[in-house]
Amino acid sequence: MEPVPKRRRESDADSWEAFPVLSDDQCDDIKLLEAYAAPIIDKRETSRLVKELAESFPLPGLQHIKRVRACKDKNSPHPLEVIVCLSSDLPEVGGESVTLSDLLHSRPVDSNGLGEPFVVKIPARPPLTRPQFEQASTHWPTSFHEDKQVTSALKGQLFTASQKAKMQQHMLCAVQAAKAGHERGMDAVGAVIVDPASDRVLAVSHDCKRRTHPLHHAVMVCIDLIAHGQGGGAYDYGEYPACQFISLDAQQPKDRAESPTYGNANQPGQAEEKSSQPYICTGYDLYVTREPCVMCAMALVHSRISRVFYGATAVDGALGTKYKIHTHTDLNHHFEVFRGIMLHECQNLQTLDKCLL
Amino acid sequence: MPADSGEDNLAERDFLRHADHDIHRWMAQAFEMAKDALENGEVPVGCLMVYNNEIIGKGRNEVNATKNATRHAEMVALDQVLEWCRVKQMGSQNVCKRTALYVTVEPCIMCAAALRLLNIPLVVYGCKNDRFGGCGSVLDISSDELPHTGTPFKCISGHRAEEAVEILKTFYRQDNPNAPKPKMRKE
Repeated sequence: MEPVPKRRRESDADSWEAFPVLSDDQCDDIKLLEAYAAPIIDKRETSRLVKELAESFPLPGLQHIKRVRACKDKNSPHPLEVIVCLSSDLPEVGGESVTLSDLLHSRPVDSNGLGEPFVVKIPARPPLTRPQFEQASTHWPTSFHEDKQVTSALKGQLFTASQKAKMQQHMLCAVQAAKAGHERGMDAVGAVIVDPASDRVLAVSHDCKRRTHPLHHAVMVCIDLIAHGQGGGAYDYGEYPACQFISLDAQQPKDRAESPTYGNANQPGQAEEKSSQPYICTGYDLYVTREPCVMCAMALVHSRISRVFYGATAVDGALGTKYKIHTHTDLNHHFEVFRGIMLHECQNLQTLDKCLL
Repeated sequence: MPADSGEDNLAERDFLRHADHDIHRWMAQAFEMAKDALENGEVPVGCLMVYNNEIIGKGRNEVNATKNATRHAEMVALDQVLEWCRVKQMGSQNVCKRTALYVTVEPCIMCAAALRLLNIPLVVYGCKNDRFGGCGSVLDISSDELPHTGTPFKCISGHRAEEAVEILKTFYRQDNPNAPKPKMRKE
């Protein structure tokens, strides 16, 4: 953990970008449904038509779809178009030559003011990201509740220059641990767990699997080092001096450590004081040079990590490449993942590994 | 190695037959481990690793005692297997590929990956694990194609499943003393 000259660090932080690893639902192209729309020839009939159509053909699960749109063609004699129904509402009718009476046959809709229908494609699900929203809008007007953080993450603007400098500093620490491990014959993978509230490094580890224990991947070691810091832990890493942790006592500010934990139990402040004690990796960030495998990724779910930053991707990686464990809807804990931190340096570590094989 | 494959298949069939035959005996001991976990305030999952008709690893959850959420029964038992191999000076790769796991609950995604990484060929388990299961319930780590994550393994499930669920329910009915306390509402 030697300090790096400041000038070099800042210039390096421009050489990489942190990409968010989003869920498949956020990344996939939008799915489309086929529907029939019709021009509103008499604008004064609009609200009545919308009401009657909505009663005869509700669009369940499509609250994001705006029923009426302004006509795309500015030269059109009618300014508005309305969705009549989904194609799936009327499976018995089909083809391009469908007429209004085919659609409204035996329905309590007065077709006065409507023109002949045509087929359109409408987005099947609400857009989750700005690119999906833009794609959806080319088909039919869609409402969009923008997650500003996702939008700026996708643009690579989520982190300020000073935040990136800190991320770089933490990843550099992981890279150095990876090199220290490699010198002792291990895979060149390093990991660091940080408390983002204080920017303090709480544990540093490298891969330890080659000599003694095939499951001692860098992330597993780092999680156990955090446990050591909290007065637990399962293994002794004495033979690996680069694997380090800070113990719980050192993490607590003096005044808080000395404040009495007994007293009136009805006092709300006391209860909060107790629950603010660290609980496994809750609230912590992990920096790791290589994308975690399935075992390590699930270990991070169990440990309730807050965010993961990794450098290079891995063939069987479970935070983006093979799986996206951190976004899996069936699991009870989710976390944010960013890849590409110090990408070049992390990829270089993998070249070191190949020399070892 | 086409010349060996016939012999290997025979050995594998023999291994599976033995594993199946002794299910009752081994699972009974896995349940004893689960009960021990329950008595010690841990999630009640217990397991056994059996090689050549001999128990070479035993485990139950030790998450609360170690403050390490990865200390599941299987991880504890795998440590013992590796230690057994070290003491006996036997190659762990050779031992693991002929070792079966008997566990009261379907291994989670993490444990399933660990079992793959050590090339354990067979897992016998009681009930499904809908929250974390890695052998088909949430993900199918046991059989997915993962060229850099060891070898896939076979599963035999359902033995004393109801009992395994019941013992888990007993645990979740009581308070987990280590989980953050929910805020109490004043009367």
